[in-house]
Amino acid sequence: MRARLADKDGFVARDGINLYYEIYGDGDPTLVLVPTWCLIHSRAWKMQIPYLSRHYRVVTYDPRGNGKSGRPRGKSEHSWHHYVDDILAVMDATGTTEAVLVGLSMSGLWSNIAAVLHPDRVMGVVSLAPPAGLGIVLPHREVHSYTDVLDTDEDWAKDNVHFIRDHYREYVEWFATKIFSDPHSTKQIEDNIAWSLETDADSLIDSDLADVRPQEDMASFYSRFTTPLLLIHGDADLLVAHESSVELARLTGGTLVTFRGSGHGLPAREPVRVNLLIRDFVERVAA
Amino acid sequence: MRARYPDETGSVTRDGLSLGYEVYGNGDPTILLMPTWTIIHVRFWKYQIPDLARRYRVVTFDGPGNGLSQRTTDPDRYTPDAYAADAIAVLDAVGVDRAVVVGLSRGGSYTLRLASSHPDRVSAIALVGPALPLAPPYLERVTRTVERFLKPYPEDVTGWDKYNLAYWHDHYEDFVRFFFDESFNEPHSTKAFEDAVRWAMETGPEILEAESKTAPTDLDDLFGGIVCPVLVFHGNSDRIVDHAVGVEAARITNGSLITIGDAGHMPMVRDPVFFNLALRDFIERVAA
Repeated sequence: MRARLADKDGFVARDGINLYYEIYGDGDPTLVLVPTWCLIHSRAWKMQIPYLSRHYRVVTYDPRGNGKSGRPRGKSEHSWHHYVDDILAVMDATGTTEAVLVGLSMSGLWSNIAAVLHPDRVMGVVSLAPPAGLGIVLPHREVHSYTDVLDTDEDWAKDNVHFIRDHYREYVEWFATKIFSDPHSTKQIEDNIAWSLETDADSLIDSDLADVRPQEDMASFYSRFTTPLLLIHGDADLLVAHESSVELARLTGGTLVTFRGSGHGLPAREPVRVNLLIRDFVERVAA
Repeated sequence: MRARYPDETGSVTRDGLSLGYEVYGNGDPTILLMPTWTIIHVRFWKYQIPDLARRYRVVTFDGPGNGLSQRTTDPDRYTPDAYAADAIAVLDAVGVDRAVVVGLSRGGSYTLRLASSHPDRVSAIALVGPALPLAPPYLERVTRTVERFLKPYPEDVTGWDKYNLAYWHDHYEDFVRFFFDESFNEPHSTKAFEDAVRWAMETGPEILEAESKTAPTDLDDLFGGIVCPVLVFHGNSDRIVDHAVGVEAARITNGSLITIGDAGHMPMVRDPVFFNLALRDFIERVAA
């Protein structure tokens, strides 16, 4: 059962990979809710779709590697430029000349990149808890190697290619508790685990090892940011440092809204506040 | 932080005891959300108030022993008659002639008594998981619990045997946690559970002991004078009051029954959207 069903859905093939998209509502402008990354598919936006589609045209799609989209193999298939080009391919397929992009975590990063590279297609970006590539990383995420064989699988040592490959289900169960560190997140955690089990360890590892952003100085990259930007970040985020968004807001001149005490999974855990902020932002950039 | 704050708060003193009330919105008709067993106060209606207050005037009050009302160990203040009189005092204080009255669990008895004793003040009632000795299996469990209530409890006491006066005094919070674990048997109830436990800690075993000394409910007194429309909500997985009780209550009152699938004892908390829409539909029909 869903609160809101899609009005239209379809597939677009880009570079040999099928991407499954859905369209809700027919308001103006169009919002593209960009899929987070291959660990989670488009249902991660389920608390946004019914509200936003009352006011706007909402496009969602499943990322390469999850949901009803294709499962490419190899880390080159998961590099950042594919994720950015997938956004544009879905926009083209849905007749969307320009849109406000809404991204969470990795797709917040890719939405920001899309705004810099394709300012004519991106009216504005709402970027929730995005990594920024500015070298501001939470200390507990730097303790263990991602690729070495470790002699422990305690807590953050699970974020390791060998553990993921050998204990995929245990990994996604653990990781969901890091995304949803706020109390009373049992439903969000269960949803997240179910979505993560629709992809597999190889896809996840490919996407982790891929180039997730342009190999250049990101501070100077962001200096080319001309699109309106709203950053939303919880200051208790266990995955992406809140400080990184403070710096990104400074570099881009964007707005940062800090959710006191919130973890990483803001759209699911704070849907009312997130939805109202998105609406307020869209009203301003569309005016 | 609340989604909706009251437009008016106050207290009324009835027979020497102060009762706190809150009023939200100014629509018509007035909806009176009754207190339930005084183990919790009326914040359990928190998912109804913001929705209902957009269309109707909503009145809530705490019964004796919890929330905004005075604590008392006088058992006579915890009878359905006493709650009915308290409700009338509150309605008088806020200037309401008639209301649609909604009651949960023991609040179902209080609601029935209010409607049967003051039919001119009650336009319709909705009962949620009403705790009434109507269905044999439920009656058996209640009877067994009552028999053991005043006896010493065994050291390895589990389950409903914690519903025991001495256990309440010795291990109040553990009893509370047992009771709300049973009340919220749906998955993903951690917030509902924590809220209820916190509310229960605002009262204590001496209050519940006083409440337990009230005489058994006379069913004729409750059902005898009911002339208004009745709606009964009951979760089909309710572990506090069997679903069969709700079926029987609806049958006796010629009321409508809404069975909520996979729901426990407090569907207004765990399934608020469904509950609110169904309640609104009922209010619109009886107010037409």
